[in-house]
Formats: sequence, C-alpha cells, structure tokens
Amino acid sequence: MLRNYLKSARRTILKNKGVYGINIIGLSLGLASCLLILLFILDEVSYDSYHQKSEDIVRVVFKAEIGGEEISEAVVMPPVGPTLEKEFPEVLTAARLRKMNNPKLTYNNKNYGDFEFAYIDPEFLEVFDLKIIKGNNTNPLENPKAVIITEKQAERYFGTENPIGKNLSFEQWDKQFTVTAVIEEFPENSHFEFGVLASMEGYDYAKSTSWVNSDFHTYLLLKDGEQYKNLEAKLPGIMDKYMGPQIREAIGVSYSEFKDKNQVGLFLQPLTEIHLNPDFVSSGDLKPGMDIKYLYIFGAVAIFMLFIACINFMNLATAAASKRAKEVGIRKVLGSGQKQLVKQFLTESFLATIIAALLAILLVVLFLPTFNQLAGKSLQIIDLLQFSIVLTTMGLIVFVAFLAGGYPAFFLSSFKPVQVLKSRFASSGKSSLRNGLVVFQFIISAGLILATIVVYQQMAFIQNKDLGYHKDHILVIREAHLLGEQREAFKNQVLKDPRVTSISNSSFVPAGPTDISMSGVLLGGEYQRRMFIYNVDEAYIPTLGLDLVSGRNFSKEFGAERNRVVINETAARSLGFHKDPIGKTFTLDTEDGGRELNIIGLVKDFHFKSLHREIEPLILMNNPYGGLIIRINTADISTLLANIENQWQKFNIKEPFSYTFLDESFNRTYLREQKMGTILSIFTGLTIFVACMGLFGLVTFAAERRVREIGIRKVLGSSIPEIIALLSRDFIRLILISFLIAFPLGYFLMEQWLEDFAYRIEIKWWMFLLAAFLTTFIALMTIGFKSFKAASVNPIKSLRTE
Amino acid sequence: MIKITNLEKYYQTEEVQTIALNKLSFEVKEGEFAAIMGPSGCGKSTLLNILGLLDDPDGGSYLFNGIEVAGYNERKRAQLRKHNIGFVFQSFNLIDELSVFENVELPLIYTGVKPAERKERVHQVLEKMGIMHRRKHFPQQLSGGQQQRVAVARAVVNNPKLILADEPTGNLDSSNGNEVMDLLTELNEAGTTIIMVTHSEHDAKFSHRIIRMLDGQKVTENVLV
Repeated sequence: MLRNYLKSARRTILKNKGVYGINIIGLSLGLASCLLILLFILDEVSYDSYHQKSEDIVRVVFKAEIGGEEISEAVVMPPVGPTLEKEFPEVLTAARLRKMNNPKLTYNNKNYGDFEFAYIDPEFLEVFDLKIIKGNNTNPLENPKAVIITEKQAERYFGTENPIGKNLSFEQWDKQFTVTAVIEEFPENSHFEFGVLASMEGYDYAKSTSWVNSDFHTYLLLKDGEQYKNLEAKLPGIMDKYMGPQIREAIGVSYSEFKDKNQVGLFLQPLTEIHLNPDFVSSGDLKPGMDIKYLYIFGAVAIFMLFIACINFMNLATAAASKRAKEVGIRKVLGSGQKQLVKQFLTESFLATIIAALLAILLVVLFLPTFNQLAGKSLQIIDLLQFSIVLTTMGLIVFVAFLAGGYPAFFLSSFKPVQVLKSRFASSGKSSLRNGLVVFQFIISAGLILATIVVYQQMAFIQNKDLGYHKDHILVIREAHLLGEQREAFKNQVLKDPRVTSISNSSFVPAGPTDISMSGVLLGGEYQRRMFIYNVDEAYIPTLGLDLVSGRNFSKEFGAERNRVVINETAARSLGFHKDPIGKTFTLDTEDGGRELNIIGLVKDFHFKSLHREIEPLILMNNPYGGLIIRINTADISTLLANIENQWQKFNIKEPFSYTFLDESFNRTYLREQKMGTILSIFTGLTIFVACMGLFGLVTFAAERRVREIGIRKVLGSSIPEIIALLSRDFIRLILISFLIAFPLGYFLMEQWLEDFAYRIEIKWWMFLLAAFLTTFIALMTIGFKSFKAASVNPIKSLRTE
Repeated sequence: MIKITNLEKYYQTEEVQTIALNKLSFEVKEGEFAAIMGPSGCGKSTLLNILGLLDDPDGGSYLFNGIEVAGYNERKRAQLRKHNIGFVFQSFNLIDELSVFENVELPLIYTGVKPAERKERVHQVLEKMGIMHRRKHFPQQLSGGQQQRVAVARAVVNNPKLILADEPTGNLDSSNGNEVMDLLTELNEAGTTIIMVTHSEHDAKFSHRIIRMLDGQKVTENVLV
C-alpha cells in the first residue's frame, strides 16, 4: 500500500511541476532558514556551557546607585572571591581573573602585541576547563612567575621550539614570566578570549584588601548552582561586614548613613547566562554579548517563513482541488475510503517535504560561509550533525508535512464522488480559509518590510547624527606612547606635513579602543557622583571639532593648567552650574585627599560613548599622555599614511606602526546592529519571495478557473486592463486588510526595539506608507504578470476549450 | 437483485426545488441486462448514482440483494460498493497519473487483495480485454476505445455482482462502441448483472429490457428477450 502511495505521490509531483515547484522551493527556503537560524541560536545559547561544571559556576557582579549614578560592573573588589569562599561552605572554590589592557611582550628581542592577557588564580583551572596540551598539567600556575599560553601564541613566539621553560618579558610592567604549559585556544562560544594567562600569585594588587576598588572578574564554583539565589541573599551581610568599615575610612560617613542615600550590592549571575544578558552589567564584560531579543526576532522570522511556505502548500493544494477532484471521485467510486485518501495525500506532502528538506540542507551547505560572514560566526557544516539539529530537522519534516498536507488531505478527501464526477467540479473560488491564510502571509510580509525600514532608518540616523565631534578624517595612533620621550619629536615631524591639520596628544577617543577613567566628584565637601575624566591637551578640542560654548580652551600661555578643567554641559547640569559654570570650582576625589578644580570652559555635549547610552558628565583635564589623534585634510590617505609610517620608522622602535580611523571605529560600535539589520533584510526578502510565489500560484489558479469568464467578458468588450483589475482586485483587498493588522503590530514591536537606543528615531507615518506601497507593489507585480497573460489570451481560444 | 420502490430524489437550489426522481419503482433480477433510456434531465444519472450507492435517496426504498440500503451512511455504502459494484463511465474516468495496470489494480488495493494475487488477476482481466500489451501505458497514450476497455477491465477486476454503465459508448465511434457492447454482453452472459444508461437505441438493443424514463418517472418498459 505504501509503495502505491509513494508511486502515486511521485507521479503527482512530477505531473504538477509548477505547483510543487512553488511548494518545494518555498518549503526548502523556509527549512533552510530555520536550519541556519537554529545553528545560529544553538551557538549563541551554547556559550560557556562547554565547561564540565558550567551549571555550578556563577560570576559575582557589582551593582550600585551612588549619588543618582547607576553603576553595574562585571568586576568586583579584590578580596570578594577569597572572602566568599571563606565565609560560605556552599562556595567550593573562588577563582579571579584580572584583565590587563594593551599587553606587549618581548621574546628573543622581538616585540609582540595584539593578544589578550590576564592574571588568573591557580584555582581558575579547577573551576574552568582549560585543556593543557603541553607542559605541567597538574598545577602550572603555582609559581608566581608562571604563565600559560595558548597553542596559537606558542606558535607565534616560539615556532617549532618547545615553549615550556621559555621566558616572556613584559617591559611595561617590568615583569618576566616562564611558560609552564600550553593550552588549547578558548572556543568561540566562550566569553573568555585570552592568549596569555599569568599566575595571580605574582600580582600584588590581588592581595589588596580594599573593598572600594573593583577590578577583578570573580567566579564561584558552587556546590549546587541552582541554589545561587540563596547565596545571593546572604551577600548584603558580607557587604556590611567588610565594606562598611572601609566606607567610613574612605569618605568619612558611616556605612549605614551611606546606605541611606545610596545602594550598593554584590549579585550573582550564572555563567551560562552571561553571553545572552549583555545588559546585566553595563561595563566590564570580557566579550560583547548577544541581545537575546535578536534570537527571538530571528527565531520568529524563521518560523514565519516556514508558516508562509506551509500556507502556500495548503492554498495551492486546495486551489488545485478542481484538478484533483476527478481523481478523488474515481478512487472513491472504486472503493477508497476517506482514510486511505488522507494517507495518500499525506504521502504526497511527506514526499514533497522530504525533497524540500534535502534541498534545504544543500542550501545550508552552500550558504553557510556567506551566513557566517554576515553573522560574524564560524559555524561548521559538521554542526548540522548535532543530535539536536538532526532531531529538529526530522521533527520539522513531520510537522511541516502534517501542517501543510493535513488540511488539503482532509479537504480533498471529503469530496462527494457524485458531485465531482458528474457535474463539472466547481472549485470554490472563494474560500474564506484560503483568504485568511493569504492575509496572514501578508501580515508577516508587510510587518517585516516595515521592520526593515525602521531598522534602516535608525541605522542611518546613527550614521548621520550630529555627534558633537568630527569623526571623519581623524587618525588615531594609540601606540604613540611607545615613542616615550620621542613622541613630541615625532608629533612635530608629522605636523610639518601640510595634509595634517592638527594633532592632539590623548588616549581618550569617543569611539573604538580608548582609555577610561572615572573619579568621584565632591561639591562643598559632599560626595556627588562619579564622572568620566578625559586626559587631553590644548589641541584636543580643535582636533576633534568640539564646540566650546563658553569660557576658553586650555592654552600653553597659562602654563600647565593642572587644576583647571573644561566640562561638558551634562557635567555642568549635574553640578548645578546651569547658568554659568565658568570660574566655579569643585573637588575631585583623589587618594591624597581631593583636588580643587577650577572650571575654565564649557563644551557642548558630544557623544563620547555609543548612542545606546545617554551622554554622561565629562571632565576634560589638561594632562596629555598616551596616543596621538591626528586630524587630516586630504583624500589621498595612502601616501599620507606612508609618510607618517616613514616618520615612525625613523624613531627606530621595535613596535610596528599601527593606526585606526575614528569613523571606522565608530562604525564598528554598531556592527552588531548593522549585521543584524542585514540578516533581517535578507530573511525579509526571502520571506516575501516565498509569499509571492504562493500568490503567483493562486493567481494562476484563479486565472485558469475564470478562463471562460475572461473569454466572455472580452467578447463583450472588456479591455485587458479591466481584466487585470478583475483578477487582482480580490488579492489586493486581502493585502489591504493585512495592513490593518501588520502595522499596529509592527509599530508595537519596533517601538520595543528602538527603546534600546538612547538616541533614536520616531516611527513616522511615511514609513507605514512606504511599507504599504512596497508590499502592494511587489504583490501587484506578481499578480499582474499572470493576470496580463490570462487577459491577453484570444477569447475564441478560451471559449473553444470550454 | 435490485428492487426500488417509490424512490424519490430532489435537488434544492436557493429558490427552486427540482424533482429528479418521482416515486420511481422497478426491479432488476440477478443476471439481467437492463437499459435505461430517456431524454436529458429525466433523472437517469441520478438513478444510476443512487443504484451505485454514490448518492442517497430522499425517499422510498432501495433493496440491494434483499437488504435495505436507503438509509446507509457513506462508510457503509462505500463498504458495500467496493465489494459488489463496478462502474463504467462515458468519460472513462481513468486516473491519468496511473498506468493501465495500476488503474485496473486500484479496486483490488482498496479491497485489500495481496500484491501477488493482484498482479495475477489484473493480468487475467487485461488479457481478456485484449489490452495486455498496453499495460504499461498511461491513459492519454491510448485511443478512446482502448481507454474504455481499461475502464471495463477496472470495473470487472473485482468480480462485482453488478456493473453500472453510464453511456459507456457515448465518447466512442461505432466500431469501438460495438466492441465495448460486446464486452458487456460477454460479462452478462458470464453471470454479471448489468444496468446501463444510454441514449443509443442501438446499444439498448444489446440489453434484455429497456426502461424508459421521463421527468423522473418510468414511462414504459419493453422486454426484448
């Protein structure tokens, strides 16, 4: 029996190539998208779960609200880890990590940069799975001078030599380490990404007992990770006990008094939740996370697409009913029961779905590299063989085959043989279910078009927003500090080039890698809040094109100006100097008891952080160090760069010349949104394509069914445009109905998305209009082609065939 | 074998009720070959559908082999139909996607005959109908006469007690038509009851008895044999 069903199904599919072509292509696109997105999502949710004990590991984070400023950091104070381990038996082990920025190491007289470096407690290796492939695999970090490196770094420094026992020196910190072990690279789905890890035993700051400074990523291995909330509830007690006394010492008020006005606390975050909750802490994450919202969006798009393909299947099968009706009638007359017919039709949909699934796998294999590029992933084809993917694929095939084939199977098999055999089978031209499904398809299509428009508008808004500074034609040489004493000479050499407008000496830039500095601010002896500090020189404001609202810039004429500052408008407001801050003073909280600062200038607010965040108070201090920021005035960048590099070489330091462009760094800040936007628009395009294929199929059937009507109308004098209008009208009405649902829904969802941006567009009426126009236009193109063909047929021909 | 009494069937459109069968009564004995004639719209096809258990009467009685089947539901009708009745249509109604062999095999599949036996029985009947050499062809590759022979083969492969033929020669030329009529006569001689609806006096002469209908009623009955 099954063989018979299969044979019959195979022939039906071959005979109705058009309909099944639409169905199979639609389903394969839907399934391929589902598989790609599934791979993507599985990769995202797999972050950090490769550690054997991942379920029992939590990260300690710091959250506070001090002087109205919200602070949440992934790093905590040095003694937190050891203290929690000591105080609570449910904490089996605490392991800390202290990341150091911009490491440079020297081996064999060669300098190396561009790797990630951290100190880790030896216990780190107990808590996390770091696979040691060479060297001491029992306790490689016991020695304070021990360092472990990854395979890649080992190859980079030592080539084929045995790295074990070799010494790496870090001149910037005046330290030398001995390689004790080589480990495998951290997998991509880890929130760690280090090349060199040194023993915390040799790092003095780790022994600090300060409960005021936070710098340590701290992880706890718990007896039972599920119970972490119980432990978290006990953490305020720890803060009282240990932080309390130090607060009084630091700011002179008692801890209880401090707590009346402010909130501080330690919180726990399960290891496996770090990646998908990038907002859990606002700073200190080791790797940018993935907003779980995107996973929901992509998941929804994949499911929508599959639904649309299934709807095509249902609609075309029921629209084609008149063709199949005769067969159903004959089979019934010959003794087939409804059950057997249902089985037969389901066999057809199964066969079609399986073919579509095979095609989908082929598509995934073909497009995985492109997808990887778009999504910034390195998913492998072999990942498709994961148990969960195989299972899901099979589940999807069954689900789709039943969803797509189920309704037609029952619909077609319920025909009464007398009706379909004797009288001409009048396939119901109006099926409210079919219409409903078409509306559903266009709700999704129009909604996705609207979403794409909004995403693109927001991206364009960010690109073109007045940032308050010039990001174009700015070259940043962060490594210039390596020139040491010679930096000034180098700067003057470069300035001689007429293509260079100005050069500022600062390591603080508004986009891309930058130094970060914050300090507490006191006013009238009272603690206010922390503010960002930018250490700059007098060329900073003109070089970046900041707008000086009042007062003056730093100037060499006035000497060092160590205690004079320029602040931004937000800082002025925050300090209560609304009208005229010039000449006012406040105190910077420093370790030696505070420094009185005199405001000499006010700059207009500029976006020195990403547009996801509101502008915060900023203090510019005249304290130049670090890198160089160069403003240029030429389009001929390559020769200018060559010239600057030439100068760099002359100073004969071992470090290679490296630079970034500020606008490129700026764009990278929004790379995730841009990538997600691109992926979204591609899937939107595919979804609309699949929906239109279905529409094309439906119009084809409508035209076939009405071929006689069209013939008669033409004989009676109807024009081709009138016929096209006749055929299109019904579909256009459905599409217009779909807007009524798509647009409010799309508005609501896109508002949610936009809320992530501190600076965002408003959704305007013309976006709806554009989405409506695009949807209608695409649909009309689809319908029009077929309608025109049907309308152009010579009526004699269509009437004769009747 | 078949006895109908006061059989009624109405068709209802939105405003008009049409009477298709108006208290029609007659009997067909086992082994008989009956022809039903009458102008278009007289209710012949409606009658054939009810006799063939494809449709349900609105009134009256229908005894099939002495069992009242008038109130049967679709499932019971289908059950009775597939074991007892074979159909031959004017437009052949072969399934285009299936080969000759497969078309003829279909009733046997639905009655649950094992594959080996199916093959044997299909071959037998194709041999008998003289279309064995065409068994791998598809309907559209055959002439009208050949198609109708396949349809007849399909109707008889299950050895039904009753064959209902609805204008079996209507789409055929006279020589092909005669061949089909000869086939039906042979089947009848072998013991199968046949009821045939026809417009053709020529074809009707092959039967034992002609029932003439008008406006859903029997008007005359001529016994030919």
